[in-house]
Amino acid sequence: MENINSGDTAWLLASASLVMLMTPALGFFYGGLVRKKNVLATIMHSFFILCLISVQWVLWGYTLAFGPDIGGIIGGLDWLALRGVGMEPNADYAATVPHQAFMVFQMMFAVITPALITGAFAERKRFKAFVVFTLLWATLVYDPVAHWVWGVGGWLRMLGALDFAGGTVVHITSGVSALVAALVLGRRRGLGSEAIEPHDATMTVLGASLLWFGWFGFNAGSALTSGGLAASAFVVTNTAAAMAALTWMTVSWLHKGAPSVLGASAGAVAGLVAITPASGYVDVSSAIVIGLGAGTICYLGIQLTKRLRVDDALDVFGVHGVGGTWGAIATGLFASSAVNSAAANGLVNGNPAQLGIQLLAVAAVVAYAAVMTFVILKVINLFVALRVPEQDEVLGLDASQHREAAYTI
Amino acid sequence: MELIAFGSFAILVALWLVAPSHKGEIVTMEEVKKAA
Repeated sequence: MENINSGDTAWLLASASLVMLMTPALGFFYGGLVRKKNVLATIMHSFFILCLISVQWVLWGYTLAFGPDIGGIIGGLDWLALRGVGMEPNADYAATVPHQAFMVFQMMFAVITPALITGAFAERKRFKAFVVFTLLWATLVYDPVAHWVWGVGGWLRMLGALDFAGGTVVHITSGVSALVAALVLGRRRGLGSEAIEPHDATMTVLGASLLWFGWFGFNAGSALTSGGLAASAFVVTNTAAAMAALTWMTVSWLHKGAPSVLGASAGAVAGLVAITPASGYVDVSSAIVIGLGAGTICYLGIQLTKRLRVDDALDVFGVHGVGGTWGAIATGLFASSAVNSAAANGLVNGNPAQLGIQLLAVAAVVAYAAVMTFVILKVINLFVALRVPEQDEVLGLDASQHREAAYTI
Repeated sequence: MELIAFGSFAILVALWLVAPSHKGEIVTMEEVKKAA
């Protein structure tokens, strides 16, 4: 155990706790945006996934994502049920912390990713179908893509794709899958003909704030050490979030005539998404540009989605799909070996090839996530209807799916 | 990059100054919902 660094271990375990908090925070972020008859069901999506993927990850998810490589595509089953994943470090991934600390940090990423998708099918998905979908999606989409990008021997990692904390692995996979899910499930009943509005904006702002807090673990924790790189990632994360919130609020102010509180919250999340893949590779000036881009591009992406009449209920594609793509491309533009000596430079620092690699990684992950999500949903629909019946949707999912009510006053 | 960073922040500040502001007219929740 002489290689274990207590500072690194403490920081990684604290970061895992911060990332864990993000999933219930997401439940509150989404919960405030739905009607009050669906708030419990929406929060339950996130809370249930925290429990489900915590077990899936230790049983087979971790070994599929990070186990010994098979052909660059998937990890082997050597670490099934955490066999061989103990208190000694694994130098391939994190040389100064117990292997289990690295494993549990990664677990929290695996947890939040499918939870992000739930915003697309909010207010209409059958709970049983959601359970099956989450388990299959985590196993067939998240685990392989995590291996491609982060696993030793993964084909995108070998190609040189840069993704510090999950722009492709977390946000593009979830954002694209959300769009596919919204298209397959169809629009909510009454959308366009009756008012469907957030029932508690304060809950959403609180959720966004807690997400921002947890994101320090997400990005700065991904340094896997408690040194300068973690501090740099922390600073650029906060900067990009703030800049994107200011930008989104400004764009929506000019577009709709008032500085939206919900807009500022969504903008902060968009900035956090966009800086995620770049957070270990860029300086603070680049973070400001990335935040500016996120606040503008994600806002426009959501307007386009609405114009196309796609009912991505809580704008998951616009924030995570578009924001993750912008972040991955921005990494190819702004990455600097002066920030991280282990990384390649990006286009503006004289290495245009990195941008090409980033675009290839985006295209591969978009295509894989879209096709697999479509197939998974269609297969589930053969056995369990994806949507609740009309009367259950009108009644609300809290009562129809969970036999509970969020508010009794 | 520093110049772009300063410039983009300056543009935001300028936009806040010219962004539309309500001039005291009464706004009801019904009007807000209709506008949204």
